[in-house]
Amino acid sequence: MKGREHTNRAVIDRLPKSGERPEVIYRYAGDRFILLEYGDMVLDLRTNFRIFGLNDAIKKARIDGVIETVPALRSMLIHYDSLKLEPAHLVDILKQLESDVPPVESLIIHSRRIELPIAFEDRYTRADIERYVKYTRQDAPNIINGHNIEYIALYNGLSSKQQVIDYICSTQWWNACIGFWPGLPFMFPLDPRYAIVAPKYNPTRPWTPEGAVGIGGPCVAIYPVASPGGYQLFGRTLPIFDLQQRNPAFKDNPILLRATDRVEWQPVSDDKLEVLRAKVFDGSYRYKIVSYEAFHVKSYLKFLDSIKDEVAEFQRKQADAAKSAPVP
Amino acid sequence: MSIYLFFYLAWATWRIETGGHTEALNMMEVVEGGIQTTVQDYPGRVGFLDLGMYPAGPMDHLAFRFANLLVGNPLGAAALEVTLGGFKARFDRHCVIAVTGAPMPVTVNGVEVPMWQSFEVKPGDLLTLGMAKTGGFRAYVAIHGGIDVPEYMGSHATFTVGGFGGFEGRGLKKGDRVQLKLTPFSQKLVGRALRKELVPTYSFEWEIEAMRGPQADPDYMAAEDMEFFFSHSWKVDRNSNRMGIRLEPHKWQWARETGGVAGGHPSNILDNGYAVWTVNMCGDQPIILTADGPSLGGFICNATLIHASSWKAGQLVPGRDHVKFKEVTIDEAIAMARALETSISETNIVRG
Repeated sequence: MKGREHTNRAVIDRLPKSGERPEVIYRYAGDRFILLEYGDMVLDLRTNFRIFGLNDAIKKARIDGVIETVPALRSMLIHYDSLKLEPAHLVDILKQLESDVPPVESLIIHSRRIELPIAFEDRYTRADIERYVKYTRQDAPNIINGHNIEYIALYNGLSSKQQVIDYICSTQWWNACIGFWPGLPFMFPLDPRYAIVAPKYNPTRPWTPEGAVGIGGPCVAIYPVASPGGYQLFGRTLPIFDLQQRNPAFKDNPILLRATDRVEWQPVSDDKLEVLRAKVFDGSYRYKIVSYEAFHVKSYLKFLDSIKDEVAEFQRKQADAAKSAPVP
Repeated sequence: MSIYLFFYLAWATWRIETGGHTEALNMMEVVEGGIQTTVQDYPGRVGFLDLGMYPAGPMDHLAFRFANLLVGNPLGAAALEVTLGGFKARFDRHCVIAVTGAPMPVTVNGVEVPMWQSFEVKPGDLLTLGMAKTGGFRAYVAIHGGIDVPEYMGSHATFTVGGFGGFEGRGLKKGDRVQLKLTPFSQKLVGRALRKELVPTYSFEWEIEAMRGPQADPDYMAAEDMEFFFSHSWKVDRNSNRMGIRLEPHKWQWARETGGVAGGHPSNILDNGYAVWTVNMCGDQPIILTADGPSLGGFICNATLIHASSWKAGQLVPGRDHVKFKEVTIDEAIAMARALETSISETNIVRG
């Protein structure tokens, strides 16, 4: 029972911070799930990388009674059968596995690279934004000239719409987890020099087209189906969810993206996107997926170190701009 | 030659027993769909939480499995979930059916039949489930052999939000013809009843066992918040469904000033996976995330229903019922789960 917390009944156990590994807190989430939380409430992709290291270790260990895992930004949810596997025993195994996870610098994560075409300010997101102005909020400060991109420029201290587009297309987007809705990715920029941010809609938007791409806080999402939404929109891409599985990319299941994918945006015209989308549904489009690549955390961290002055400079400008920008 | 004779006789016997019905005559025709009647299986579409898919499946896994047990099906076989009642269907084959769950008047051709006991339905018979009025929200209709809808990602369960699984990804409507599994009628399955003492009681006031966490006091909520949560009688919001059961908003004390990087409200956290049947604190409003809920999000979950009791949430009537949560320990939860699983067994079946 050493190290067990008695005052917090939700906590099963803790593993103190050790070297670069943050503290791990093992929490009850009922009698069929446990939740692992890592370190402080900060957005640090290194923690997310480490969680994929643990996820691999759990899968390799083939623990009898573990049903599935849900890796996320700084947490991991584990679904298990407590009639087969005692939670205390599961936690002991998980603590043991932490020492099997290599230090984050030496992690090599299997990571697909996916190129997706995007039509910025396309007709469908424009139409839904127009409806929002008409029926929901006429004076929304986040809508300038019928779209959100100029507001994103204002909020991040960028000079023009084109610069926002360039920023979005200048970095790969790391898919840290999938969820909320089937197939919905939570993506973060791997190059922090281009890490734009944006506050969410207020109130939320009752309509968003399927395939719309938007940003909320630092996170970029693609809407798998038409739905309400709160993210500032950029434009639209190809389907990432197809129930009818009309394209080989959806052969195994209706969901295109996986956690650990890296998405790159390829700007195309609105008309071109329509043509490509039709080809997805007739089965002739081949999604551009490079599936054999690995993500080397070590070289990534080296890269981060090499650009840190530029990042600091951008963040200073960004913070100044955000201060004077209106918030929805 | 004798082997051919054997197969011929087997085939002939099967034809006699099924009345020679081919697939076209092996249907259930929906006469009234009711508010929401879906095809479900148990445990649903498990294994895709990391792709954002909650499992779907029955809102009340206990009554669902008892229904299958009564008609001699595998406990997880595809069966119907009828919400509040108002469901009518005509069968074109001879079959054995059981109805369990929230008390509803059940009739065959206008003649009342008991719930929690299997009965016989002949070709052309009309099965009717009236409205639930005395407590409970969902009933289950299991048909011997099960319902023959295509599997989607390994399950027959209807995921109402995504519009997939089950029968065309939606609730049943008047005129739908639903394929049944071709199974010979079996007289010995008729009249099987569940022991009376195992039939749950359905009321307007519920007590549901839950465990504290994952994000409770003292780090996310205040101790008095959790005390309030486990003592208050919560009114179930009208706006509840298979995605979530909304409770009334409350002014919480919280342990933190804000959610920091995750957002301004102290209920905000960096997005994490949600356990099925957890209590999600959406700003100030608690919502029990149920079968078709969101798999991941950025709000704390201060308590989670235990497996042995989560079925009760599926019986809460929106806009009417009240629920209290009773805190249990992990050991109590596991003991209760074991007892519940053991109870769903042939030893608890008697002749009605």
